[in-house]
Amino acid sequence: MALFNQTADGAMDAAPPTAEQLADDRSGERASWWQTGPLVVVLLLFFGLPMLVVLAVSFFDFSRTDIIPAFIFDNYIDLFRSEVTLRLYLSSLKFAAIVWLVTLVLGFNIAYFLVFHVRSLLWQIGLFLVCTVPFLTSNIIRMISWIPFLGRNGIFNQALEGAGITSQPLEFLLFSDFAVIVAYVHLFTLFMVVPIFNSMARIDKSLLEAARDAGAGRFRVVAEIVLPLSKTGIALGSIFVVTLVMGDSFVVRTMSGGQSASVVSALQNEVAALQYPPAAASAVIMVIIVTLMVAGILRLVDVRKELAR
Amino acid sequence: MHGSDEGRPWTFYAFAAFFGLFVAFLYGPMIVIYVLSFQGPNGGMTFPLNGVSLHWFSALISQTRVGDIAGSFQRSIGLAALVAIITVVLSVLAGLGFRRRFRGSAFAFYLAIASLIMPGLFVGLGIALAFRLLGLQTAWYTTGLGAQLTWTLPFGLLIMFAVLGRFNRSYEEAATDLGATNWQRFSEITLPMLLPGIIGVALFGFTLSYDELARTALTAGSQNTLPLEIWAMTTNVTSPTLYAVGAVTTVVSFVVIITALTSIAAIQSRRARGKQSEQSHG
Amino acid sequence: MAEKKGVEATGSGEVVVANVTKRFAETVAVRELSLTIPHGAYCCLLGPSGCGKTTILRMIAGHERPTTGDIRIGGRSVLGLPQIERGTAMMFQSYALFPHRSVLDNVAFALKMRGAGLPERHAKARELLTKVQLENFADRLPAQLSGGQQQRVALARALITNPRVLLLDEPLSALDEYLRLRMRGELRRVQKELGITFIHVTHTQLEAIAVADTVVVMAQGRIEQAASARDIFVAPKSAYVARFVGGQNVLLGNVESVMNGTAAVASANGARFAFPVGDLRPARGAKLYGSIRRDRVVVEKLAPGAKPAAGLNSVAGEVHTIENQGSYVKVTLDLADNEEFVANMPDEAFFANPLDIGDKVVARWSASDVKLLDDGLPQEAPAPARTAMAAG
Repeated sequence: MALFNQTADGAMDAAPPTAEQLADDRSGERASWWQTGPLVVVLLLFFGLPMLVVLAVSFFDFSRTDIIPAFIFDNYIDLFRSEVTLRLYLSSLKFAAIVWLVTLVLGFNIAYFLVFHVRSLLWQIGLFLVCTVPFLTSNIIRMISWIPFLGRNGIFNQALEGAGITSQPLEFLLFSDFAVIVAYVHLFTLFMVVPIFNSMARIDKSLLEAARDAGAGRFRVVAEIVLPLSKTGIALGSIFVVTLVMGDSFVVRTMSGGQSASVVSALQNEVAALQYPPAAASAVIMVIIVTLMVAGILRLVDVRKELAR
Repeated sequence: MHGSDEGRPWTFYAFAAFFGLFVAFLYGPMIVIYVLSFQGPNGGMTFPLNGVSLHWFSALISQTRVGDIAGSFQRSIGLAALVAIITVVLSVLAGLGFRRRFRGSAFAFYLAIASLIMPGLFVGLGIALAFRLLGLQTAWYTTGLGAQLTWTLPFGLLIMFAVLGRFNRSYEEAATDLGATNWQRFSEITLPMLLPGIIGVALFGFTLSYDELARTALTAGSQNTLPLEIWAMTTNVTSPTLYAVGAVTTVVSFVVIITALTSIAAIQSRRARGKQSEQSHG
Repeated sequence: MAEKKGVEATGSGEVVVANVTKRFAETVAVRELSLTIPHGAYCCLLGPSGCGKTTILRMIAGHERPTTGDIRIGGRSVLGLPQIERGTAMMFQSYALFPHRSVLDNVAFALKMRGAGLPERHAKARELLTKVQLENFADRLPAQLSGGQQQRVALARALITNPRVLLLDEPLSALDEYLRLRMRGELRRVQKELGITFIHVTHTQLEAIAVADTVVVMAQGRIEQAASARDIFVAPKSAYVARFVGGQNVLLGNVESVMNGTAAVASANGARFAFPVGDLRPARGAKLYGSIRRDRVVVEKLAPGAKPAAGLNSVAGEVHTIENQGSYVKVTLDLADNEEFVANMPDEAFFANPLDIGDKVVARWSASDVKLLDDGLPQEAPAPARTAMAAG
């Protein structure tokens, strides 16, 4: 797959490459190999192989203290038989769907504002950075910073009571599904904003003017022009958000106060209990399901053009 | 584009208000924590502030009950620096390699993307299992490092794609035309021109490693990194010391971020200076 | 570091392209092309996008390698030679001035690559900047210069190594119209002063004729005609060259009879022309092409109701468009079968009796102004194109 192609200065019939040409291509190819090699090796070592190990271990047997190399399907069968599995997946999928929707709406509007309403490039970059900087600070801190905010004695409740809107603290704000979703949105909206911002920034502004010229109102312009042309960014952002939520265990543990669980948090429990094979099987199933979701998104929108610049 | 002397439509103000709310949403809770970290010695974990003091900050350094803050902090900084350097070198090289068409480029690309979206716990699990099967111990500077690289390398690669996409190769050709060898061309022209992007990669490499939790959780070995310490604190610390830690670590992040961003801005402004001066059409 | 030796401009700047073919992955950009450019000539490669002209330039520069064939400069093959030994320098379409280096450092760059010390190469660079009248801009960054100034810096940068051949890739296309016209003369002047070979790629016909000693018209990877700028204009060899270079009308018809070196030719719409054929004896019914210069055509309005007189060397039609070009007026006629015919009328002649769109007119010319074109004639094996040094 060529990412940065140079176009040829000619256009005619094909001819088979000469030996000289092949030699030229080869030396360029070899250069690319040793340039990308280190990165690929590191990823294979610390990602590729470990994933294969997980796959292998998912078929192992285990005792209270050890894992025993074997090839059994018991871990998978237990997973499929257990009602808990279904509940966990429903819980994770529920979170993923809600968070996806909220971050999509937020992300789209923020990107739209930055691209089409902010006129000065300096302001665009500045405001974009303002959104991005929190992402580069600690996720856990940002997550737990909601606790004093949403708690029974937290700021939000105190403000509401002080303004006379409520007489009792709102319990559902913290250690609930609501808190989990708030935290997810807080942490992951940026992953929607950036790809959509990218897609929108490529839209030729004169297209919007042409649409206005033809009589389209503000909302029609968005629906007919901006939305379709941002499809790739939306797809990429969706992939990020969905995989992040499905793969999370820390946020859901903390913010739900232990009431809700996700697939991965259950997996983390198994790991803590040294039950590696079931955890591995759970991981494999999760990867398959998330891959299917991602493939589904990619089927709807072809992102390769965007990634290949 | 709207005319520069046109008034702004009402939607601009609506969007701007919306954006302002979002920024408040992003920063508000963090500011709450920073304020609370100055809680008085007898204060609790929420408002109201019971006096203002640096009590909890000093508790960080003195008390060992809260965990090994100083040690984990040092480890995290060192690890982040190491990750940043490795990420820069490998991502820049790989980015340059991807400029050509080559067999296996699709495989390498999808490998990086897969590594990016794989849940961190799984990657950590895999590494921990692999090491366990081999009878080796995990440690923050071996497996922890490797696990974090699976997160930072794809980011670095994507940033390099964006930067190289804007990079006009005729500068490199001109350098060759003027007699530069491959190395001279790289060191005199390519590298300096890519410098802002490279700083960006280093920035991401550092901060992503410094804050990384999921991948490090199972691969850090017996000594924690700072995020792991903080995570442990969230479950068993019930004093504003936690907020003090949060404030300190965020300040460190901010220092790094602002240093990187200002150096990028300095480089860009020096090179673009004079764009407003008289020019004919390109 | 010891200074590496380059090839000084004392060597010959004769460029020989010997039967070069260049294939990219699926396309052939240059086909078995041979061309000799004498030392000190100003040669323009002219043609539409995709004709291969830039590919040839880049092969001479060493940025591409020919798939087959050889390229020789000063009698020595330069294939695979390192840049320092080629004796060529290139001026890029976008100038490619290094944005992160000052103007002075840009110009001195090639010397730095050859290991020259700082004071020495800065002094030499200042010399060159003075030659292009930019010595006060030495410490600025390229972004602070105007387009025309950037071009002069690019020129200085290319010339600092005393190349034998300077290669210019559409050097004027990044400038606006006014600067373009001014810089044309500058390039010509500089070339005459330096006495080195210039090879200049462009798709603008008038630009090529304005600057070059010899013009090489290309299409689809081959040379259509290589001749002096004068000959390209007054004596195009083929219909393609005639149409591309402009200023000509192409006439086409079937031979009716041949007598005394002149063929009577009838076109599809009934007009009849006389073509000079010299010693050739085309058969009856053979297709022949000829060209007549647009400014050698006289246009007369037909009185309403009058029929055009039958005769050789005239066409009748309706005025389709009228374009004032200052010293002449370009009148385009719609002929009976929708073919186009253009006459450039001197401004005074036109405005004495102005025409209107839709007027019925007759265009006449004299037979001695018609030139026979190659198309349709039996071809000999093509000889390698040699470009002549035209006078001035």
